[in-house]
Amino acid sequence: MEFKDYYRTLGVARDATADDIKKAFRKLARKYHPDLSKEPGAEARMKEVNEAYAVLSDPEKRAAYDALGRGYRPGQEFRPPPDWDANFEFSGPGFGAEAADFSDFFAELFGRMGGRPREGGFGRREARGEDHHAKVLLDIEDAWRGTTRQISLRVPRMDASGRAVLDTRTLDVRIPKGVREGQLIRLAGQGSPGLGGGPPGDLLLEVHFSPHPRYQANGRDLLVDLPVAPWEAALGSVIPVPLPDGSLLKVRIPAGAQSGRQLVVHGKGIPGNPPGDLELTVRVVLPPADTARAKELYETMARELKFDPRAASGS
Amino acid sequence: MREEDILIGALLEDACLTLEELSRACAVPPDWVIERVREGLLPAPGEPSSAWRFGSRDLARVRQIVRIERDFDAVPELAALVADLFEELDDLRARLRRAGLD
Repeated sequence: MEFKDYYRTLGVARDATADDIKKAFRKLARKYHPDLSKEPGAEARMKEVNEAYAVLSDPEKRAAYDALGRGYRPGQEFRPPPDWDANFEFSGPGFGAEAADFSDFFAELFGRMGGRPREGGFGRREARGEDHHAKVLLDIEDAWRGTTRQISLRVPRMDASGRAVLDTRTLDVRIPKGVREGQLIRLAGQGSPGLGGGPPGDLLLEVHFSPHPRYQANGRDLLVDLPVAPWEAALGSVIPVPLPDGSLLKVRIPAGAQSGRQLVVHGKGIPGNPPGDLELTVRVVLPPADTARAKELYETMARELKFDPRAASGS
Repeated sequence: MREEDILIGALLEDACLTLEELSRACAVPPDWVIERVREGLLPAPGEPSSAWRFGSRDLARVRQIVRIERDFDAVPELAALVADLFEELDDLRARLRRAGLD
């Protein structure tokens, strides 16, 4: 395990005041905010910053870290001596769900927090484990037919000596069909273990769709671009539209449909109760005038149709 | 992979989380949520609070507000304003994506 220099992560001196640490954290929290940052690896950096702040902003953890880390360089191989923390009394809120995002280094150092029953106490109160959150990236096709996804998570667990360790767990999860972007999937009992015989928390998965070259989703509505030839649009036609499940849906294009016109087929979007709609946007594609024959056809149209696309706009 | 090893996920529909479930999922006390609903910073799901139900979008909003309040020591109104702006940004980004402009 590598030693982590939390002071360097936050860019503060070892004798920084609590106020300096808070200021440095806020500056970085703004810089690497996951919803806004365009910096590469912003999410990973934010986790490191959160971990460093969780230690340095807590006087007990900071004192323990300082005592232990004296003489270590960042990245140096690190192994804490046994019972190194015997002289520290941690009273913090324990090893919460957030710590699942933290490093093994953090888990090794602070795993005992909150996990060891206090001597002379009245025993631990029964408490439900915390809920965990994770994101799951699906393809739109998966929403159509449901799918199974393998999800790897880090979950705190109490070992036999009452110490919290971070386990990496791999779960195979069946995702039902009809799922929407942003929707939650609950896996009951898959969060943090409970304390004192309390029930475990849940795992909540937030669904995101990966970008698709043909399809877009808006809730359960499926948005599809529909390229058509000029004569299909002008004369009207029936066009087969491929759906994410591989089937073809025949859609009638009304005569005179212009580019940008929207056609809605109710109930043919992402399945569910109720199912979404299929929203098609007509896009007229011109055949290239790259042969003598094609040029001749365009010239015939120009001559005989007397069509001025700018007549209506007056330009 | 054995069939029995596969966990079945339950899809949470809109307006399905109780006040207690929402608070627990966001690691805040129920009073924290009640206070912000009463202040108009979270959607008001009617009365009484025992009948409140929240959806996926509410949960994302609450988690975001919790983070902003905690990370920046922000007053709840400011955190809610930032969350409003992020929601607007998400909607605009989704529209850009749909228009093929992102």
